[in-house]
Amino acid sequence: MKKALSITLLISILLLLASSAAFGVAGEEIYQVKQGFKLVPAIIMVALLCIYVGVGFLSKVSSTSGYWVAGQGIGKFGNGAAIASDWMSAASFMGVAGLLYLKGWFGLGYIIGWTGGYVLLLCLIAAQIRRFGKYTIPEFLGDRYNSHAVRLIAASVTVIIAITYSTAQFKGIGLICGWIFGMDYKASVFFAAGVVLSYMLISGMSGVTRNQQIQYVVLISAFLIPLWVLLRKAGGSGILPQIEYGNIISGLMEGKTAAGQLDPEATTALRNAYLPWGKGDFYHFIALVFTLMVGTAGLPHIMIRFYTVKNEDVARRSVLWGLFFIGLLYWSSPVYAAMGRFWNPAGGKAVADVIILSAPERAGLGSAFIGYLASGALAAGLSTVAGLLVAGASAIAHDWYATVFKPDCSDRQALLVGRIFTAVLCGVVILFALNPPALIAQIVAMAFAIAGNTIFPVVVLGIWYSGSNKYGALAGMIFGLGMTLMAMFGWMAKIPMFGDQGLLPATSSALIVCPLAFLINILVSNATNEKLDEESAERGDNILRKLHNLPGYQEEDDGTNAFSR
Amino acid sequence: MAKRQRVHVNFFVPSSDGIKAETSVAKTIILLWFLLSYGIPVLIWLAGLPDPNGLGESFITNTRFLGFPLHYWLLAQGCTLGYILLCKLYCVLWDAKSNRLQKS
Repeated sequence: MKKALSITLLISILLLLASSAAFGVAGEEIYQVKQGFKLVPAIIMVALLCIYVGVGFLSKVSSTSGYWVAGQGIGKFGNGAAIASDWMSAASFMGVAGLLYLKGWFGLGYIIGWTGGYVLLLCLIAAQIRRFGKYTIPEFLGDRYNSHAVRLIAASVTVIIAITYSTAQFKGIGLICGWIFGMDYKASVFFAAGVVLSYMLISGMSGVTRNQQIQYVVLISAFLIPLWVLLRKAGGSGILPQIEYGNIISGLMEGKTAAGQLDPEATTALRNAYLPWGKGDFYHFIALVFTLMVGTAGLPHIMIRFYTVKNEDVARRSVLWGLFFIGLLYWSSPVYAAMGRFWNPAGGKAVADVIILSAPERAGLGSAFIGYLASGALAAGLSTVAGLLVAGASAIAHDWYATVFKPDCSDRQALLVGRIFTAVLCGVVILFALNPPALIAQIVAMAFAIAGNTIFPVVVLGIWYSGSNKYGALAGMIFGLGMTLMAMFGWMAKIPMFGDQGLLPATSSALIVCPLAFLINILVSNATNEKLDEESAERGDNILRKLHNLPGYQEEDDGTNAFSR
Repeated sequence: MAKRQRVHVNFFVPSSDGIKAETSVAKTIILLWFLLSYGIPVLIWLAGLPDPNGLGESFITNTRFLGFPLHYWLLAQGCTLGYILLCKLYCVLWDAKSNRLQKS
């Protein structure tokens, strides 16, 4: 155990060294803000990182149940903040502002998609998942459908989501580290990996949860405070930036920017971006919104939060508070996008993902403010990656290894496998992050498409339709996963049909695929109803009794499972 | 183990009082959620259909609300606010239902 820990620590130190060796190599022009080492932001960032690692270190865990879900004793504010902190990734911090900057009104689809999904989650899933009360989503699906195959696929999907999502975070973390230390993008990805790994391995999820509340406070203050100064610089009174920037948007539509009135051509371009269908049509808007919503409701690392609360009442209220905490951020990120346009009306894709740094920099905000903002974005990326890698590693260690391949393994072995796979996942993510396929928010949207097309239908039917069985679940999941992966690779291969103007964009495939996955699950389940064996039917029914508080639930004999309490 | 009766759970055909209460609250909220999420874009789309440039310009985009173009505010803040209120409404409705269930 100790040996594995020290080996992984060694690897992360090596990563840090490797990245610092690449120091000073001239960075490619990924973005247009000032290059070079920045002392004040660096100090702020290092101080913040020390706090994170310190808190993680103080709350070191040794038992597995602590590693996975931090004990079931977290209240509604705490869990709400943890949901929000898990949520507030580099995607919502940097990515959403970037997309809004690039796509104007169309980018707002990301905001309603990423908030509206919580309503679905609350109505259909949250309380039932809490009643089930075990560790992971693959475990829920595997038990409900009484099938190792369902569990394995669900676990694989969890891992794929974790990889996709983390790739986007690493891009964000890499850009930030690059901005602060003046590193080359590739070097800063390795640097970020070193930081994430050492943090992850020292603390388990218990440390992560406690950190997530601290991180939320750091995050949201880092995101909000610079806005007041920014808006004052843009000529507002700076009392409530989230309302005042309305005038700036209206001004932008008439071509009024920091540099004065734009010429008619540029004014038209800017105006079109803020009109509804200037950057994408109605179908793509609806498809995007739908995908992000079902994806939100189907994300395993958000669902896993509901196992950690005291009871189902707290589960419901923590959705409410989580959404409120997330709302604070999303009311503010369009302000950065608008500020970006105000100071840099002609910027393109290269500047989009760092617009939250570039806008304040152009406005002449002090480097301390920008450093705090950057540290906040970094924290956002770090906490999300931490949650995701835990979810991914737990899917492997718990659902593949401890349940299917080696049911009689000890707690320590499972923990060891979990730690090893955390490192392995991190490596895979680095590979993808070195050559990111799209904007941060777009990569994340692809992860949502996977969740919405595979996990969401099977979980909702698992809870709400007793006729659904393992054959239907398998068919639906395989279809959903296959279609989404096809769209993703199609996007990377630049096939028009899967591009952002195509019929089935990788970022918004769920409008078509998700309802089909529901349909396939229902049809196949009904067709195979006769074939279903007695045990599966009985076990599924038993879980349903528990989910819906029906009489006659029998405690399962859980001898197969090293984590039962 | 003696064979027991199969459980029937269907979102649209609730079988027990508990499920009935839960689905009725969920249905109300999901209906409102649907109207909010898709009604507003459809409204903006319909209003903007006559725009010859196909950009969806209409009275909604020309109206100003709190300084915002209305179509911008509706999505950037209106919907999010609506979702939070919906979550609150869900909790309120559910509390009322479960109190009634416990009394009866």
